[in-house]
Amino acid sequence: MSFLVQCPQCGHRSVYEFRFGGEVKQRPAPNASEAEWTNYVYTKANEAGVQKEWWFHRSGCRQWFQAVRNTVTNEVQESFFPGDTT
Amino acid sequence: MSCPKDKITLEFNGKPVTARPGDTVASALYRSGQRIFTRSFKYHRRRGLLCLAGKCPNCLMNVDGAPNVRTCITLVRAGMRVTHQNASPSLENDWLSVVQHFDRLMPVGWYYKTMTDPRVWHTAEPFVRKIAGLGTPPSPDAVSGNYEHAYRHSDVAIIGGGPAGLKAAISEAENGRQVTLVDDQPELGGHLRYTKIAEAALPELVAKVQTLPNMQVLNGSYCFGLYEGNLLGIVQPRRDPDDAERLIHLRAGRVVVATGAYESPLLFPNNDLVGVMLSTGVLRLIHLHGIIPGKVAVVIGQSPLVEPVVADLREAGLQIAATVAPKSVVRAIGKKYVTRIETRDARHACDLVVMCGHRIPDAGLLHQAGARLEWNAGKGAFIPTDLPAHVSAVGQVTGESLSAAATLPPVLDPASKRAFVCLCSDVSSQDLANAIDEGFDHIETLKRYTTTTMGPCQGRMCQLPAIGVCARQTNHSMAETGVTTGRPPNPGVTLGALAGARHHPTRRTPMHYEHEAAGAAWLDMGEWKRSRYYQSPMGASEKQCVEQEYRAVRERVGLIDVSTLGKLDLKGRDVGRLLDHVYAGRFSDLRPGRTRYGVICDEAGIMLDDGTVSRLADDHFFVTTTTGNLDFVLQWMNWWLVGTNWDVYITNLTSGLAAVNLAGPNAREVLKPLTDCDLSTAAFPYMACRVAQVAGAEAILMRIGFVGETGWEIHFPAESGPDVWKAVMEAGRKFDIKPFGIEAQRLLRLEKRHIIVGVDSDALTNPFEAGMGWVPKLDKEDFIGRSALARLATQPPKQKLACFIMNEADLPEDGAAIMIGGQLAGRVTSARFSPGQGKAIGLAWVPAETAREGAEVQVRVRGRVARARITEKAFYDPDGARLRM
Ligand code: FES
Ligand SMILES: [Zn+2]
Repeated sequence: MSFLVQCPQCGHRSVYEFRFGGEVKQRPAPNASEAEWTNYVYTKANEAGVQKEWWFHRSGCRQWFQAVRNTVTNEVQESFFPGDTT
Repeated sequence: MSCPKDKITLEFNGKPVTARPGDTVASALYRSGQRIFTRSFKYHRRRGLLCLAGKCPNCLMNVDGAPNVRTCITLVRAGMRVTHQNASPSLENDWLSVVQHFDRLMPVGWYYKTMTDPRVWHTAEPFVRKIAGLGTPPSPDAVSGNYEHAYRHSDVAIIGGGPAGLKAAISEAENGRQVTLVDDQPELGGHLRYTKIAEAALPELVAKVQTLPNMQVLNGSYCFGLYEGNLLGIVQPRRDPDDAERLIHLRAGRVVVATGAYESPLLFPNNDLVGVMLSTGVLRLIHLHGIIPGKVAVVIGQSPLVEPVVADLREAGLQIAATVAPKSVVRAIGKKYVTRIETRDARHACDLVVMCGHRIPDAGLLHQAGARLEWNAGKGAFIPTDLPAHVSAVGQVTGESLSAAATLPPVLDPASKRAFVCLCSDVSSQDLANAIDEGFDHIETLKRYTTTTMGPCQGRMCQLPAIGVCARQTNHSMAETGVTTGRPPNPGVTLGALAGARHHPTRRTPMHYEHEAAGAAWLDMGEWKRSRYYQSPMGASEKQCVEQEYRAVRERVGLIDVSTLGKLDLKGRDVGRLLDHVYAGRFSDLRPGRTRYGVICDEAGIMLDDGTVSRLADDHFFVTTTTGNLDFVLQWMNWWLVGTNWDVYITNLTSGLAAVNLAGPNAREVLKPLTDCDLSTAAFPYMACRVAQVAGAEAILMRIGFVGETGWEIHFPAESGPDVWKAVMEAGRKFDIKPFGIEAQRLLRLEKRHIIVGVDSDALTNPFEAGMGWVPKLDKEDFIGRSALARLATQPPKQKLACFIMNEADLPEDGAAIMIGGQLAGRVTSARFSPGQGKAIGLAWVPAETAREGAEVQVRVRGRVARARITEKAFYDPDGARLRM
């Protein structure tokens, strides 16, 4: 594993500078059903293809961001800070 | 560079050998008369120089303590110590060579067939271990030299410094790109160094490369892997003993593979005799080292490969006894060295056999990176196609100007016990045929069963002949048979180069040297150094020292350095909101000047970390985390803040602040003269916090009690660390204050039943089982883990963390089994000898119904079963009266 991850702030950097934060998921509402919570906590889509993920630039700007990555080719297609509207 | 008058002396098996500058170890030894360089892996057959290119297993020796060094590409250095491997007593007379006469007893797959019974393996193992393998690894305590890692970037990386690589490098550099040129030979030039090609002008190319400013040349360095994102692994061996062996991580925008083609042997019986060499090996000896390796040669080869070789050998003064076609060779003959070649219609006496062998495009890097290898019968080679993006190839590696050396699959029956396909593991064509008959008829299973292509040459010498034999025996074409998967590293890499420099970062607290002066025995906690306990000048045992520290805290006063705690400063209007969300407890209602214990759970309700939260002002909080979890907590808080627009600013003050815990009945008296803060319980009650001066430093004081005594945790600027420490110790002198370490602290807290998250809890522990059901505030509308914790609150836990006390002083080890009625029922998480109780005490996971006052359990104490009793309350001051004094 030696691909490059594009930090929206620092640009293309070695994947070893980052912490992987898992798939981006919608957190259920507080009163959601047990099934919804169980699904949120334990089930992963584990996509063989393009998925949206959390990444943390641990050895860089120390920011969390989201990236769209193809898990088969490890190509990071885009990345952004959530909430950024630009 | 070579000045013939210069002489270099190295040592071979303890005897001096004279070399010329520019010599490799192998050429120097050859010139001195050495012909046998190695003994083979299985049969201990004599092996001599074959490729002279660092591609075969025949010249591996121990150089300056490093095993399996390819001596034919290692330049000589004065004082080098070279020894042979895998032969005893000597290369010339190796008693294990008798093994080859018993080869019937060692059929292909011998291990799998013989070592089926564990008892057999048990008996055979010591013997097998002794004779198997090639080199001897250096002993673990031998000084192993320097290793380092380097990180480089360039626009283009060119792998291979032959004519195609040199031209590509020059053109890329002239187009303004930053270029790195990597070549594994001692000098640039590739095959131009030892063959005559009219159009090439090597000196000009090399001179040009060396003058271009945007060109970096790594010669004598080999590239062992091309990884995703165009990351190249390159090893730059040490040039002299003081140099470091360097692993270079090179990231390149584009990679141009110009690794050329190498030659691999033809298949006939006794093709491994000393004196049977590859044509390129012979030409290297002649043109690079001025050595004519024989008088009368037989050249095996076919047109158009054979003619230029014959012309070159004649010009060098060799007599050519015959030129024979590969398919007419019956066998080579010779005892120690080759003396004859037998063909179908003649015998030719000779002292050198020159094989014009198969030309193999050196496509390993391309194959690793995902290229396909496609059979081309005319070129007699697998040619790389479908190269990945940003990777290209030039020169002979693309198949350019190659032609077949012999028909493949072989037309004749190739099965012979002495026609060696794999020189590394002594696998003959007969062995391959037998393995195929046994059902290993796919090239990948054939490889694994016979270990062909898995030795030091990594398939360079044997892959093509093996595919040929496999294709022929299975009646398939070469294309159908295909190649085995190429994987890095290839060639092999020393473990030292991969491990790199042994740099372990060490973090020292601001008071480190005070502890050192006080005789600290150190404990490594992650990167931190902490005092385990303080050794006594009187030579007391660790147990006695810890007990003295313990007594100081319980009876007088003690001081511990807690600077390693994570320390976070949180400012902003919404900090309370964030803490309410991230912690299971409630903090938005915490009044300024108060401190509260906090636990972080994940969404599954599992305890992740604990610490204190102090409110210094309405919009200002100070949070501590455990030593190991700071990074996690900081990232966790920041993650939950993403996209919220909350007004929260988090500053990590862990390194900026020192911290101590002053505790014991006299703590107040010690601290009083050092601060203007009113320390009376009325003004500064338990679980309060203040900002005040302590010994001249601005400090945050928290009245908390991990060890169970009246005490203050004091945080102050790191630069004041030693001053404050000294001032407190000085003020405590009349109370006989003692510094205490982690061991005493763990004992003190255990008596108070204070758990350590990550020691007493694990990755499945929720607060209810840990006896901290009061922590989660389920009436908060939402927080992390609320859903899971609300559910857990209604389900009685199956197991609980409980205190136990034993009837004796002997300690169970951490993790020791708890038994009930002879059945495994739980485990010990912490146990210490309690001087207060005079017995061993601890925390353990037990079944929930057992976690009640007075329940009897058994604890395994190093193989023996001892009795223990469960207690519900803390052993020391269960109501916390002393904390509030
Ligand atoms: S002779 Fe040195 S590796 Fe082949
Ligand atoms: Zn960044």
